[in-house]
Amino acid sequence: MKYLIFGLAILALGFTACNSNSDKKTEEAHKMSQQEMKDMNMHDSMGVTPAKTSSESVNISSIVTNYLHMKNAFAKDDSKEAGASGEEMVKAFTGFNKAALTPDQAKIYNDVEDDAREHAEHIGSNAGNIKHQREHFDMLSKDIYQLVKTFGGGQKLYYDHCPMYNDGKGANWLSETKEIANPYLGKAMPNCGTVKEELK
Amino acid sequence: MWYGERRIKVKSMNLKKKILLGLITCFVLMQFIQPARNESDKVMPTDIQMIYAVPDKVLKVLQISCYDCHSNNTHYPWHSFIQPGAWLMASHIKNGKAMLNFSQFGELSNRKQLSKLQGIINQVKDGEMPILSYTLIHRNAVLKPAQKAILINWAALVKDSITAKN
Repeated sequence: MKYLIFGLAILALGFTACNSNSDKKTEEAHKMSQQEMKDMNMHDSMGVTPAKTSSESVNISSIVTNYLHMKNAFAKDDSKEAGASGEEMVKAFTGFNKAALTPDQAKIYNDVEDDAREHAEHIGSNAGNIKHQREHFDMLSKDIYQLVKTFGGGQKLYYDHCPMYNDGKGANWLSETKEIANPYLGKAMPNCGTVKEELK
Repeated sequence: MWYGERRIKVKSMNLKKKILLGLITCFVLMQFIQPARNESDKVMPTDIQMIYAVPDKVLKVLQISCYDCHSNNTHYPWHSFIQPGAWLMASHIKNGKAMLNFSQFGELSNRKQLSKLQGIINQVKDGEMPILSYTLIHRNAVLKPAQKAILINWAALVKDSITAKN
C-alpha cells in the first residue's frame, strides 16, 4: 500500500510537471500573437499597408519580398537565413488581407496559400537542412509564380529556369534581377540557368 | 558509534528500495493508460486507392513501409502495447498523419496532392523516409533500392496523371 501511494505520488508529480509545461507554452503563444497584433496595428497606423477597399488592386508584395529574400539566401547557400524568411513568409500569409479579393480571386489565392504556407513552414523549421529546404523551395516557387501571374508582383520579375536540378528534370524560380543567381545549386553553380519569362 | 552508522546504512537501503518499488509501481500503472488506437477497417472514399491506380506491388510497399504512420490503419506489433513506447508511437502516428494521410488523400486539392507526391519522391530518394526511429524497430520497413524505385516511379506516374487531367 505504501509503495502504491509512493508510485502514485511520482506519477502525479510527473503529470503536474507536464501540465505546467504546456501552460507555459500556450502562454508564450498568447504573448507572441499579442506582439504580432501590435506589429500589425503599428503598420496600419504608419500607413505601410494601403487602405483596403475592394476596388483597389490586391497587393501580394509582402509575400513576394519574403520569397525574394529567401531566394537570395539559397543562392548564398545560407540555410539559416532562408529558414528565417520562411517563418516571415508564414506571417505574411497570416497578415494578408483576403477581404479585398473577389470570389474568383479568393479561390485561386486560397488554393495556392494552402500549399505555399506548408512549404514556407517546412523551410522555416528545417534550417540546417538546405537540401530539404530547397526541395520545398522548388514547389513553393510554382505557387508564388501562380500568385504573381494572378495578382502581379508589384515589381518587374524574371522567371528563371535551372535545367540541372532534380536529376536533370529542372526547376524554376522567380528573381528580381536579370542576372542569374541560382538558388538551387548555390555557390557551386551560381550562373547556371536562363530567363524563361519576364513578368511585369 | 558503530551502531549509528549501521542504522544510517539500513535507512538508505530502505529509501533506495522504496524508490525502486515506486518506479516499478509507476511502470505497472502506466500500462493501464493506453493511447487510442489508430485502426479502421473501412476504406474511405478519399483513400488514394479509390482515386488513383495503386498496383499491388506498390500497395504492398506502402502497407509495409508507410501505412503505420501515414494511414488510418496502423499494424500494431505486440511490443507496441508496452508503455511508454506506445505513447511515443501514438505521437509518431499523429505527426505522420498530419503531414500525409493516404487514407484521406482525396481531401487535398490537386495542387497539394502534387506537392505531397513530389514530397514522397524526395523523401524516399533522400532516404529520409521511413524515418530511422521507426526502422530501428521495424526492420522490414526499410526500403530496398528496388522498392524505392517502385514507389518513386508510381508517384511520378500519379503526378503526371493529375497534371494531364487539369
